[in-house]
Amino acid sequence: MEGRFPGRALPYALLLPSIAVIAVFLFVPAIEALRLSLFEVAPFTGRGTFVGLANFRELVGSGIYRHSLSVTLLFAVGVVALGLAGSLAVAVLASLRLPGVGVYRTVLLWPYALSPAVAGTIWALLFDPSTGPMTVLLRAVTGLSPNWMMDGTYALGVTVVAAAWKMLGFNIVFFLAGLQAVPQELQEAARVDGAGGVRVFWRITFPILSPVTFFLFVMNSLYAFFEVFGLIDVMTQGGPGGATDILVYRLYQDAFISARWGIASAQSILLFAMVGVLMLIQFRLAGRRVVYA
Amino acid sequence: MTRILTRVGVVLLLVAVVGLLAAIPPGAAQAPLKITLWHAMGGARYDAITKDIAAGFSKAYPAYALEPLYTGSYGETVTKAIAAVRAGSPPHIVQVFEVGTQTLLDSGAIIPVTEVVKPGDIDFDDYIGPILNYYQVGGRLASMPFNSSTAILYYNKDVFQKAGLDPSKPPATYKDVEQMGRKIVASGAARAAITFGWPSWMLEQAHAMHDRPYADRGNGRQARATRVLFNEPFGVEVLSRWKRWADGKLLAYGGREYAPNKAFLSGEVAMLMQSTSQVTTIEKAAKFPVGSGFLPRIEGQSAGRSVIGGASLWVLRGKGRSPQELDAIAKFFKFIALPAETAKWHMDTGYFPATKTAVALLRKQEWFVKHPNHETAFKQIQEGPDTPNTRGVLLGNFVQIRNITDTAIEKALSGRLSPKEALDEAAREANKLLDEYNRINK
Repeated sequence: MEGRFPGRALPYALLLPSIAVIAVFLFVPAIEALRLSLFEVAPFTGRGTFVGLANFRELVGSGIYRHSLSVTLLFAVGVVALGLAGSLAVAVLASLRLPGVGVYRTVLLWPYALSPAVAGTIWALLFDPSTGPMTVLLRAVTGLSPNWMMDGTYALGVTVVAAAWKMLGFNIVFFLAGLQAVPQELQEAARVDGAGGVRVFWRITFPILSPVTFFLFVMNSLYAFFEVFGLIDVMTQGGPGGATDILVYRLYQDAFISARWGIASAQSILLFAMVGVLMLIQFRLAGRRVVYA
Repeated sequence: MTRILTRVGVVLLLVAVVGLLAAIPPGAAQAPLKITLWHAMGGARYDAITKDIAAGFSKAYPAYALEPLYTGSYGETVTKAIAAVRAGSPPHIVQVFEVGTQTLLDSGAIIPVTEVVKPGDIDFDDYIGPILNYYQVGGRLASMPFNSSTAILYYNKDVFQKAGLDPSKPPATYKDVEQMGRKIVASGAARAAITFGWPSWMLEQAHAMHDRPYADRGNGRQARATRVLFNEPFGVEVLSRWKRWADGKLLAYGGREYAPNKAFLSGEVAMLMQSTSQVTTIEKAAKFPVGSGFLPRIEGQSAGRSVIGGASLWVLRGKGRSPQELDAIAKFFKFIALPAETAKWHMDTGYFPATKTAVALLRKQEWFVKHPNHETAFKQIQEGPDTPNTRGVLLGNFVQIRNITDTAIEKALSGRLSPKEALDEAAREANKLLDEYNRINK
């Protein structure tokens, strides 16, 4: 069964729409961003003065930007670690043969279906410093009165939990599918050899899950870098005192609130480069340890 | 990234425009001439503008129609207007908050109100001095006053009563706030004494209230400002006092803009420094009697006046406006300047009744007797001298500078930096932005 196109032109013609869309919405804007990053642009006229690499120099030297970078790394590490660990734990529970497990599995998917803005609103209401149920609970239990509008560490913690929660459904689906693909014989054989449940999990199940884990690791990293804008905008607007001022949010502020197109373009280039390098490292280091069984 | 988003936005906008055009039935020769207004009025203000004002205008001038479009927050509205100007199809009128004044003045994209409205068509002398002064730059009125506000102090009368305080007496000074606040917290009548919205605007207010400059060159009104002055001893003193309130559990900081309203409305916090534009909303939502007073002063400091905030309406040039379009815009401005309309806008929202005739009308209806909280801000801006410091600061890149100052205030209140360190750091960043602005806009 070998399908062949009748001429050479047809395959290209069929590819053209996709290429056109990618070119118009990806390549052209990307090149434009690269060009703009070398300019200082007047917002209304769009007239730019060529400044070379001054925008990049300013970013590298800026305390605000460096702070934002460290917040982003902290945020990403938190979201990925918490998200993967939490969803793996839940997925293991949901893969047990329990009565009504189908209902649990369906319900667990819900957070993923929420828009970031809605998820942000829910968490903001839960942790509202004056009226939030979680605040009231924490106050009753600990006697402390946490205010994430003022306490930066607390704010970062709450946003990390919210962001990880939002990805929970997505991660669980993949882990569940992965868990179901683990051959029963292997687990049974290990049990016969006298291995306990924990040992079976770490020695048999976890290695077999490694391709799924690696995939989710990459997806969650990308999510933590690029897709949490809505959540941050609704919950903290980068505050308090810049404690949750992640790079995408800073970029949004400079581009769409302050109309500083030049410096914002430079930020998008830097962000692109950083995530590119990060992905490369992940594939080099983690990719080697993945067992494609 | 940014370009992609911009493009997607433009495409969506185009789709919307095409949709609107398609919605106009063909051959509707008598269709009124439409002028578009982009605004940032959410909440109770949304209905007031989209329903009442638009409908009233059509009724008064059947040949014209107003098409209001909510374009997000103040900051987002400015950015969208900039994008539209660059794409060559801006709205006729855009509502811009006071922070955007300098940017709009330098944009080359506007037509000053004085060129749109024929002399004598609107009696600008009828406008209340401090309001007109804010939008008058270089002796010329650049934009049409519409929703002007200032900040006042709201307080919970029930809490005052429970704490053994006189519910008809709000604090007048910072010392009062501290003394009364301690009583409130100690008595358990509320969990905290005070909170405020718009933190950096409050710092600006404090400067104006005590006749201090916020930036050089006459608060940016003689020439473009090059240096901010909020990190001078006075600004540090203000922030240090706030920090002391926070340390003493008097201040419960509740976030930027209108976020802290919730803490006040739930009875958790006894007092709130907030824009007067929230009077109607707060009175409606509160389950307790609401009192109001002037912003507290710092004892032993010179006397100034609270500064105007809110927004005004700017006419955008686009690719040139036809005489009919200009006439429609002028008629619209004339319409909103009518005493009855100005008064109604005030009653619906709490923004200033901007003209003396509207105030007289409201007095005749005994509005202020029945709604004393609506008069507080008005009384406040009429007290104190008219100086460059009380007329309000003009800065380039002001949106970003406000953001930086907000961050500094939050850093100081949370104890990450001392008030002086936080303001010094913010001033350095702000001055860099002023340099950049002055470099780009020569």
